[in-house]
Amino acid sequence: MSHPITRRTALKRLLKISGGLVLSAFTRWPLNGLGSVSAKSHKKGFIVEGLGQKEGYSLKGLTRRVFEAAGGSSRFVSRGDVVVVKPNISWARRPDLAATTNPELLEAVIEICYEAGAKKVRIADNTINDPRRCFAISGAGMVAKKTGAELIYPRSSLMREMKLRGNRLDVWPVFVPLVEADKLINLPVAKHHGLTTLTLGMKNWIGAIGGRRSALHQDIHQSIVDLARFFNPTLTLIDATRIMIKNGPSGGRLSDVATKNTLILSDDQVAADAKASMLFGLTPDQIGYIFLGQLWALGTYDFQQLDQKKVIL
Amino acid sequence: MKATHLVWIRRISQGFFLLFFLFLLIESRLPQDIYLRYSLVFSSDLDLRIQWPLAFFFQLDPLLCLSSLVSGHHFITGFWWALALTLVTLFLGRIFCGFICPLGTVHHVVSWVKPALKGKRMIEANQKSPSQRVKYLLLTSLLVGALIGLNLAGLMDPISLFFRSLALAVFPGLGVGIKEIFDWMAKSDIRILNHLSYGTEVLVSPVFGYGYQSYQSAWFIGLIFLLTLFLNRIRPRFWCRVLCPLGALLGIFSRLSILRLKKNHEKCTNCELCTKNCQGAASPIPGQQWENAECLMCLNCFDSCTEGALSFQLRWPRTLNRKPDMGRRALLTGLLAGISIPLLGRLDGQVHKVSEPRLIRPPGSLPEKDFLRLCQRCSLCMKVCPTNVINPTLGEAGMAGFWTPRLVMIQGYCEYTCTLCGSVCPSGAIREISVKEKIERPIKIGSAYVDRGRCLPWSGNGPCIVCEEHCPTSPKAIYFSKELVTGPDGKRILVPLPYVGLKICVGCGICEYKCPVKGRPAIRIISAGESRSVKNQILL
Repeated sequence: MSHPITRRTALKRLLKISGGLVLSAFTRWPLNGLGSVSAKSHKKGFIVEGLGQKEGYSLKGLTRRVFEAAGGSSRFVSRGDVVVVKPNISWARRPDLAATTNPELLEAVIEICYEAGAKKVRIADNTINDPRRCFAISGAGMVAKKTGAELIYPRSSLMREMKLRGNRLDVWPVFVPLVEADKLINLPVAKHHGLTTLTLGMKNWIGAIGGRRSALHQDIHQSIVDLARFFNPTLTLIDATRIMIKNGPSGGRLSDVATKNTLILSDDQVAADAKASMLFGLTPDQIGYIFLGQLWALGTYDFQQLDQKKVIL
Repeated sequence: MKATHLVWIRRISQGFFLLFFLFLLIESRLPQDIYLRYSLVFSSDLDLRIQWPLAFFFQLDPLLCLSSLVSGHHFITGFWWALALTLVTLFLGRIFCGFICPLGTVHHVVSWVKPALKGKRMIEANQKSPSQRVKYLLLTSLLVGALIGLNLAGLMDPISLFFRSLALAVFPGLGVGIKEIFDWMAKSDIRILNHLSYGTEVLVSPVFGYGYQSYQSAWFIGLIFLLTLFLNRIRPRFWCRVLCPLGALLGIFSRLSILRLKKNHEKCTNCELCTKNCQGAASPIPGQQWENAECLMCLNCFDSCTEGALSFQLRWPRTLNRKPDMGRRALLTGLLAGISIPLLGRLDGQVHKVSEPRLIRPPGSLPEKDFLRLCQRCSLCMKVCPTNVINPTLGEAGMAGFWTPRLVMIQGYCEYTCTLCGSVCPSGAIREISVKEKIERPIKIGSAYVDRGRCLPWSGNGPCIVCEEHCPTSPKAIYFSKELVTGPDGKRILVPLPYVGLKICVGCGICEYKCPVKGRPAIRIISAGESRSVKNQILL
């Protein structure tokens, strides 16, 4: 305001802007021409639903079958990859209360990753309750010990401010190991939630950031979509072996839990969440972030566009 | 055995017990590698416990044991350790002070590394002085006070004091400093620094705490600790000589001791080396009468005597030693203080009339009156609390409850399935409870209420309902109903408004802790409704 710009600086700026535009146009064109950007988003996604109908079916077996139906684990995990699995272990609650990801499923996924040649598998979650208690009581600690996976505790020094470039969230502290992973697998549990109706895959990313998380609730659906776009996992595998139908997301009684014996695996976050929402007797567009996810072209809940498969054990 | 050997045995013993004390102190937290079989976890709520005998030094302490007994008529768990120590003292004198007491060791080291005085002045400082009666005054007042119903022994007890100072001030203070360095390193753009910070933090944080540990008014505890260290500049082991009530108690027991300092007048050349090295000002020199009640059993006099005029010998049959020099005036003052302090402490009406709303005691705490009879203010509950919610009080519990535990919900919250604090409490002021009992009874520590003027949805500032999300009870104590409120631009907006169901609320405080309105949250816990009190109830 105090300094009117001189002719020289005005010219300089104009040159910079126009030059930048020209350059960007040049870099854009050939890319678009080759189609590498647009082609990727048009690639047909898949969704696999696994159902354990038989009494006493093996959850590990079902998990394996679901991965096979999706084209085999080597399609997603390459030799030497560092894989980070992001379960939902927000609460220090025992597994049968459905507040946390089933430890058996977690174990199965880690084993599958190792078999596919992963160099290292890490379990990371920024929990709500004290992480030591969450990891112990949810069984995740035991899984880590059994499988040799690395348990990453949330620490302030592991939260780094990053540009999310979201519609709502610009800069936010992010749990670094998830960003540094070669492959990221989202392993949420399907639960009821007061504000968002359901906690599913995309909402699980709230456990992947630090900072003032409780402020996100003021625009929760858009924030979730921004986070889901930023983290963009290789796979989403929703644990619906048992789901929490009320009093979510913490639950606390077995009467809050319903058994569904279902796994949903997809490379499309929106589709996976949409499929899971139907287990609660809802339609996908009733959930704000699923609706917004499709709107922002993060994925789709029009299952016809996807390669659909079903595995029954 | 030669004196030098005995002194070395003393040093090794001091070192061992100091390290053991520090080890237990460091282990007073949940480790990161708790593994439970999930076949067990699947079916029942497990109580996470720490396997080390964290309360060992408190159980070894006869003063804590005795004060709990006279005030709360309660034998603390493991009291036979204290009984054993008392027996040892009856035979060998204040062996505890010279060989075991970790606080005594620290004072010993400080006085030895940097002697306050030199030559003649040190000899003068080590002459027995009337100020040494102060500890008997303190002991009398603490025990009389405990008898009347206010147990303040923990304020002055060396084990309590040392644990409190280290756990609340020294370790967290260093921890915060170190953590700041790690966070600075992690933020830097240099990759090696990042990795170094991750790597070292894994090693250091189990010792100093996993986050930024904070304890309100801990600066004051730290300052007092520094002051007691500084007092060694005036006289060696000033604390042990003049102030320590446990030392006074053990001094009284040592009257029956059979381990005695034998003096040989003929050999003495009056070089006064024994007095110069005496830690307890117990008149070791031949010509003066040995004060067995003041003797810290450091054996320095024996070791420093070049003429062989002094030696410690066992003498049987037992004859009474010299009476501890308590001084009648000190005893009377102690008696008077012991009577008046508990009575003055009742004047704030917290026990008989109304509770301070922000005095929220840990789950399983006894009713206030019994709590004040047993709590030794050792801060073990504060140290183990995984969320760092338990803090020492300053004025919230009145003078009587100074430094007792209180939950500060802006710093943490009481985790719904955690029962750790009660499991470590050495005196039983916080009862050991199980998760099942905590949830099913339920044990309430207070009640939440919504401050509608601050609450985002209630004040028309948009949706939030973080409190409802985190509420751990089932069904949730915090529920909401979607209603129209007036937004900032005058438009009517539909938002979920939080309400608290007092019947279900247990006062855990996670709503207050997670509320986006920081500092003074829009939902807060008050002690009303706590299940330990009959009077402090709200509902019919």
